[in-house]
Amino acid sequence: MLNNEKIRLMTRMASFDEVEGKKDIAVNGYFRGDYICFQVLKSAIYGTVGFAVVLALYMLYNLESFLADIYKMDMMAFVKDWLTKYVIVLLIYLVISYFVYAFRFSRSKRRIRAYQQQLKQLHQIYEEENERRR
Amino acid sequence: MTNLLVIKEQIIKYYARFEIFITPVLKFIVMLVSLIAINANVGFMGRLKNPAIVIILALLSSFLPINVMIVLAALVIVAHMYALSMACAAVVGLVFLIMFVLYFRFTPKEAIAVLLTPICFVLKVPYLVPLAMGFVGGPLSCISVACGTIAYFIMHNVKASAEQMTGTEGVENALSGFRYVIDTIIKDQTMILMTIAFCVTIVLVYLIRRLRINYSWYIALGVGAVINILIILVGAVATDADVSALGVIFGTVFSAALVLVMQFFIHNLDYSRTEYVQFEDDEYYYYVKAIPKISMEAPQNKVRRINPQQPSGGRRNYDMDE
Repeated sequence: MLNNEKIRLMTRMASFDEVEGKKDIAVNGYFRGDYICFQVLKSAIYGTVGFAVVLALYMLYNLESFLADIYKMDMMAFVKDWLTKYVIVLLIYLVISYFVYAFRFSRSKRRIRAYQQQLKQLHQIYEEENERRR
Repeated sequence: MTNLLVIKEQIIKYYARFEIFITPVLKFIVMLVSLIAINANVGFMGRLKNPAIVIILALLSSFLPINVMIVLAALVIVAHMYALSMACAAVVGLVFLIMFVLYFRFTPKEAIAVLLTPICFVLKVPYLVPLAMGFVGGPLSCISVACGTIAYFIMHNVKASAEQMTGTEGVENALSGFRYVIDTIIKDQTMILMTIAFCVTIVLVYLIRRLRINYSWYIALGVGAVINILIILVGAVATDADVSALGVIFGTVFSAALVLVMQFFIHNLDYSRTEYVQFEDDEYYYYVKAIPKISMEAPQNKVRRINPQQPSGGRRNYDMDE
């Protein structure tokens, strides 16, 4: 005998499983700190790639003057200047990443909690069915 | 109003029913329009302008994820730039790379905004994008809209200075060509102004529409439109941005009207789509097609006769629609 309530519940859960569920369950496997730390680390890699591209563009733009002055310029000051810029840009990028991923983690947790509630309901339905059979 | 609601419900009903066909067709149209706009602006590579290739790419896109469509469109632009000059292709490719680093990290789900922003610029309704994205997106939508805006202005500027960018063979010429392309792209005041205005408008519209006050959507739209106009006009006066004051005002008002229509279709609405799910329990395998419920039915016109027809006599009968 088909149980309509159970089918409705299972459909809702299966639909969640197919779309957001996969990602949310993966996120749920982490502790909050670990997840945010991992995402911020990924952002650091992305940010470094972006900054390297900007630096490459800058170097190519000023290649002529750079090659002409390469023996005269203070290399240490040049490197220090760019490193400072890199650290400032990366810090801003990482702070934004932190807040974005902290928000996404809590949102994902909320959805998982609702899913767990549905699991409990389903479990209850199963138990009732088993009791009726006995 | 009831008629409008009925139309809305019927549109949703048809979308839910034929979603499997409508989405690929819409993707095909978006990609086709994007490729036509790209070819019209920076169509330097003859082979890519071939209608057969354009249609094949658009058809291919209708089955691909939207993010792949964006990468495809970016590759087409870089290929056109390569036909113009190597330096141009390198600069544009690197700028796209920076944008992708930002975009894919934060808003990979808003690919459609990246594609629609340049299309709206080409269709002369660019102000529709920040107002609409403030409603349907979040504050991070400004990244995808900024990427789309920059992509449009890159194409626009390269088109305008294509002659100066050609003939950059040799190291000396390549370097000066390189500098020229970077100057053309980065020092465009209009691009910077539009990007800032759009980002501020998106964040502002988003923040106001989320307030728990009556008519927050309308207030958000009004404030967003006014701020958009103000930033662009004040910015145009302060910098050398090439902006038409009347164009900004009328464009924003027209866009706000379009958003009002759009708002009617998206407000308080769950566009849940038809879903096909499979699962099993101890006794059965279930293959379920879940169709979203439609809350409003189209009213049936009933005809009630006020004066029943007389078998004889000259009296006229009047019918009245209920």
